[in-house]
Amino acid sequence: VIPVAFDYVRPSTVDDAVSALRSAGDEGKIIAGGQSLLPVLRLRLAAPAMLVDLSNVTGLRGVRVEGDELVIGAMTTHADVASSPVVRAEAPVVAAAARTVGDRQIRHRGTLGGSLSHADPAGDLCAAIVAAEGTMVLHGPNGRRSVPASAYFTDLFTTAAQPDEVLVEVRVPRRPGWTAHYEKFHRTAQAWAVVGAAVAVRRENGAIAEVRVGLCNMGPTPVRAHAAEAALAGAVDLGTVKAAAAHAGDGTTPASDISGSAEYRRHLAGVLTARAVAKAAGL
Amino acid sequence: VLACQKVRDKARLVAAHLLECAPSDVEFTEGAFRVRGNPDQAKTLAEISGAVFAAHNLPDGMEPQLDSEATYDPDNFSFPHGTHLVAAEVDTETGRVSIRKYVAVDDVGRVINPLIVEGQVHGGVVQGLAQALYEEAVYDEGGNLLTGSFAEYLLPSAADVPSIVVDRTETPAPGHPLGIKGVGEAGTIASTPAIVNAVVDALRPRGVHDIAMPLTPERVWRAANSSSEVTA
Repeated sequence: VIPVAFDYVRPSTVDDAVSALRSAGDEGKIIAGGQSLLPVLRLRLAAPAMLVDLSNVTGLRGVRVEGDELVIGAMTTHADVASSPVVRAEAPVVAAAARTVGDRQIRHRGTLGGSLSHADPAGDLCAAIVAAEGTMVLHGPNGRRSVPASAYFTDLFTTAAQPDEVLVEVRVPRRPGWTAHYEKFHRTAQAWAVVGAAVAVRRENGAIAEVRVGLCNMGPTPVRAHAAEAALAGAVDLGTVKAAAAHAGDGTTPASDISGSAEYRRHLAGVLTARAVAKAAGL
Repeated sequence: VLACQKVRDKARLVAAHLLECAPSDVEFTEGAFRVRGNPDQAKTLAEISGAVFAAHNLPDGMEPQLDSEATYDPDNFSFPHGTHLVAAEVDTETGRVSIRKYVAVDDVGRVINPLIVEGQVHGGVVQGLAQALYEEAVYDEGGNLLTGSFAEYLLPSAADVPSIVVDRTETPAPGHPLGIKGVGEAGTIASTPAIVNAVVDALRPRGVHDIAMPLTPERVWRAANSSSEVTA
């Protein structure tokens, strides 16, 4: 219930944050909104020697458009992501997922960067960023590098970020005119997703032209449902959508746990993907 | 109630003494002991209590206190009873159960404080709903508890609970001086079977006759889709 003692620094620049992380070696941990990290500390599932608080670092919060990309600062809260007219217009799948995170209080404290760094396989935003084909911008001792979502999530609660790198922003290709829906299946209002399907759709002449599907809790990392995406292209009605979406769980390796067996999760992935596509496409 | 009656009976003796009349001429109405036929001649309970505390003008031999204790040995049990109706919707593709309407009609005897009674029914219904749909102590093969925190041991929050229609009949309990019965467990006892039966009833066309509690989505999904009687 009470975390192990730790040192605490609150730098005002990203470079200072990186220096602090370097000095802590493998024992440093970044704290953003604290909505995932604090429970982990309190349950003593982790005991970092130093917390680097990003709340005083300027420039990490907010949304802007740069060319054909939408740039979301890592410290932008879920509430701000969900309510941003720019995100809703340019990356609706991200806004849709942000709306469903935890509860209202969590959405006002928790941040996009925090969720993506925590990399919980059940994370709503992780699935959405996969579906949005976002790119994570990491700031380390040697400057910045970009890692696409497909390479960023490497394992359970593990990302491509090094211990001395700070996730500063997420770049998402602008997709105006696309529609989206995030279908989250959870047992109680505040419970994590058993499975979630983040779907973005582009329609053309009444038919579905392109689809992106990101799934959470269907393996150690969020996954892209490529087979279902291919099968969904060209779908025109609910019947074809359902048949195509049934492939969503193909090739996934979901866990069996108290929330559901792997078989049930694979089944849910298909159902939820079909529903998300139907809602996104207005079928 | 019996203890209050003892206090009242003793206070009546004090009132009669102060009002200089026979105890049988004193009646207790609206918080005061009054002389029958002359209601302006009165001593309030507060005045009686003050006189007992001062203890210098009491009937001979009376102990100067109004404390009282009583033991209630009922002639019979009280029998609260009721009927709870549940309209449940089952999503056969995911196994999710939604409670569309919940109506609880209980008879808990005479109701003194309706707000508390309704609160007890609400709380009991939610506890029973939690047992039907969510709460479960799960152990692994090594005997380790897997549901050791409220992240795994699910409880419904306000957002997961349907609006509950509460109504009642009031049949006084014959074995109790006020006619009251119990209300604490009324909601708990009825709601669990009402919810499970609603779900089983919804799935009866698919050949489902029972599902083990709690009705997790996976259990409901398997029940809805595993029967040989499925024709859809």
